[in-house]
Amino acid sequence: MFDRRKFLTTVALGTASAAFLSACGQSSSAGQTGSAENPVTINYTWWGNDDRAERTRKAIALFESKNPDVKVNGNFTDFAGYWQKRATEAAGGGLPDVMQWDLSYLRDYGQRNQLLDLSTVKINTDAFDKSLLPSGQIRGKTYGIPTSTNAFAVYYDPAKLQSMGVAEPDGQWTYKEFNAFMLEVGQKGNGALYGGTDYTGVWWMYNIWLRQNNIQAFTDDGKLGFTKDDLKKWWNTTAELRGTPALVPEERVTQLAPKSAMGSNVTASEVTWDNFMAGYLGDSGAKELKLVPVPSDDPDNLGLFLKPSMLMVASAKTKYKDAAARFIDFMVNDPEVGQIFKTSRGVPASKTQRDGTTFEGTDKLVVDYEKSIEKYLKDAPEPPIVGFGTLEASFKRVSSELNYGKLTLDGAADAWFKEAEDLIKQNA
Amino acid sequence: MTTMATPTQPQPTKPNAPAPVYNPKSESTAVKRIKSTIFHVVALALVAMVLYPAIWMISASFKPNSEIGGANNALWSNNFSFDNFVTAMDGIGGVSTLTFFTNSLILAVGAVVGTVLSASISAYAFARINFPGRGLFFGMMIATLLLPFHVVIIPQYIVFQQLGLVDTYVPLLIGKFLAADAFFVFLMVQFMRGLPAELDEAARIDGAGHVRIFGSIMLPLMKPALISTSIFSFIWSWNDFLGPLLYLNTPEKYPLPLALRLFVDQTQSSDYGAMIAMSVLALLPVLVFFLVFQRYIVEGVSTQGLKG
Repeated sequence: MFDRRKFLTTVALGTASAAFLSACGQSSSAGQTGSAENPVTINYTWWGNDDRAERTRKAIALFESKNPDVKVNGNFTDFAGYWQKRATEAAGGGLPDVMQWDLSYLRDYGQRNQLLDLSTVKINTDAFDKSLLPSGQIRGKTYGIPTSTNAFAVYYDPAKLQSMGVAEPDGQWTYKEFNAFMLEVGQKGNGALYGGTDYTGVWWMYNIWLRQNNIQAFTDDGKLGFTKDDLKKWWNTTAELRGTPALVPEERVTQLAPKSAMGSNVTASEVTWDNFMAGYLGDSGAKELKLVPVPSDDPDNLGLFLKPSMLMVASAKTKYKDAAARFIDFMVNDPEVGQIFKTSRGVPASKTQRDGTTFEGTDKLVVDYEKSIEKYLKDAPEPPIVGFGTLEASFKRVSSELNYGKLTLDGAADAWFKEAEDLIKQNA
Repeated sequence: MTTMATPTQPQPTKPNAPAPVYNPKSESTAVKRIKSTIFHVVALALVAMVLYPAIWMISASFKPNSEIGGANNALWSNNFSFDNFVTAMDGIGGVSTLTFFTNSLILAVGAVVGTVLSASISAYAFARINFPGRGLFFGMMIATLLLPFHVVIIPQYIVFQQLGLVDTYVPLLIGKFLAADAFFVFLMVQFMRGLPAELDEAARIDGAGHVRIFGSIMLPLMKPALISTSIFSFIWSWNDFLGPLLYLNTPEKYPLPLALRLFVDQTQSSDYGAMIAMSVLALLPVLVFFLVFQRYIVEGVSTQGLKG
């Protein structure tokens, strides 16, 4: 029979043994090392498709042949599942030793002390652009090292423009000229082809516009750095294009998801990150796509910057700090790793790696684009605030409601500001 | 079966209908025919609607990547090819697709065996043995049905992590062998309660113990419930994504649902064609399993309706 005292003893014993077990799990001193005969094993995890899995496998094999005292256990999932898994592991204290990371999750995990301060271990960052490294740092601690960079650009399909008799843009244009370009494409496209998507719904494009006007998106203490009037002015940039063939209608964009409008051959241009090139080419089946800089009303200030397209981080609880640091150093700096990945992670951030890699075809287009905008580049943004992903999504949603005509300009600005301020208060 | 299916009866008049001589018999066959036509048209339309996604999927698996989704609505492509199946069978990151199939099969068969064994035994205890606290434990078991899975994810993960069982199939299967799926236990308890108690009383008089009664009397009578349970637990395990995602770390141990997602990557390039081809392949075992057992499922449901 089940008496209460026995039950309580069982529960107490169970709790005690769980505590004991967890103590065992954590009783590790910093930096165990291995030897060639007795190698240590570190876990490395990344998100991506089978192509990236194949390339990473090659990189790991190379690392192991150069470092016989370390074995690397690779593991991968898709992007959405990746963050579900990390959240569970972080709560359970079982994050892998080294991880591929995304900028928008860096502050969240860094602030909760889940990530290792990489300035305490040996990773060579001499070959990195000094304006890029701060994007991996939070409050003076380095949590992430960028593997590669991406930049914003306007994509266009030269073959489609030629067939309609529209001149190719040269990338030195104002917003007015850009709008006129989209309208011309839309009118000649005859309903089959639109000019582009409404770029005012893209948070990063707004960020660039703010930079062009010398406004900070977020203040140093994590508040909004712009006013409602700035936002209204921005959303008004394409006001006269809404409902014309210049912009693909919002409902069409929704129908086409998960493919982009450009990937579905419904628009002739798109404003987004330059490392989407391979995906757009694959989705649309186009022979060639070209990249030009974003428009700006100030020709000397394009507001452009390089953003880490992904970073390398280590778990704060890793038992093998030295091995983890060596692996990160290898992945970001080694020229042979650059040869393996080319631009599939973005353009290599480290100069050693970039110079050691030969780029051809599509890869070369992206690298050349980033070279061509070099003189306009400003500091990379800080790691975004916690909950940035939500903010970015609501920016898109509110602006599409504006597009549908469900919200007025004032209503849209109010709605977004309220959401943003609530979110910032919540995470402060 | 061919009459009186749709309530729509707009009594359409034939354009060349003969003069209105009243003839109840001929009119009623005409009306019958029209009703039957309407019924069949509606039924066919519904079938087309239900089957369309499956047809779309199969047709898309033969199309090149750039013609799938987006602005392409055509079911048929002139660039018909088996390339997607070739890519899908190539495997991912050095792990062959057959490995994913084998893993899925191990998990699904393990789940079926575990659930059928453990749920039927627990159900027997709840339905036939009058132990103290039975009502309370039964209530507690039903209460776990109300507990959303997401609430227990993290505590469960911590337990398995501390026991060093992450990256094994144990966390995914142990619950099945311990009757943790309250739904199936409940299903079987209800079924057993419907079986006449006289049968096991007779067995007891003949000297049978619980093991004998369970094995020789109950199990054979419960066949329909066991089959429903097998089918459901097979399909659920075959489709489970979150469990394997959280507990498995080595790609060599991944089941199909994890592998499927690896063809689509929003941050890089997506191979929709290969993903869809693999979905088609992943569907086949479930389809076969269902076709083999479907007559039992119907039998199972109909017997469950007949109490006592």
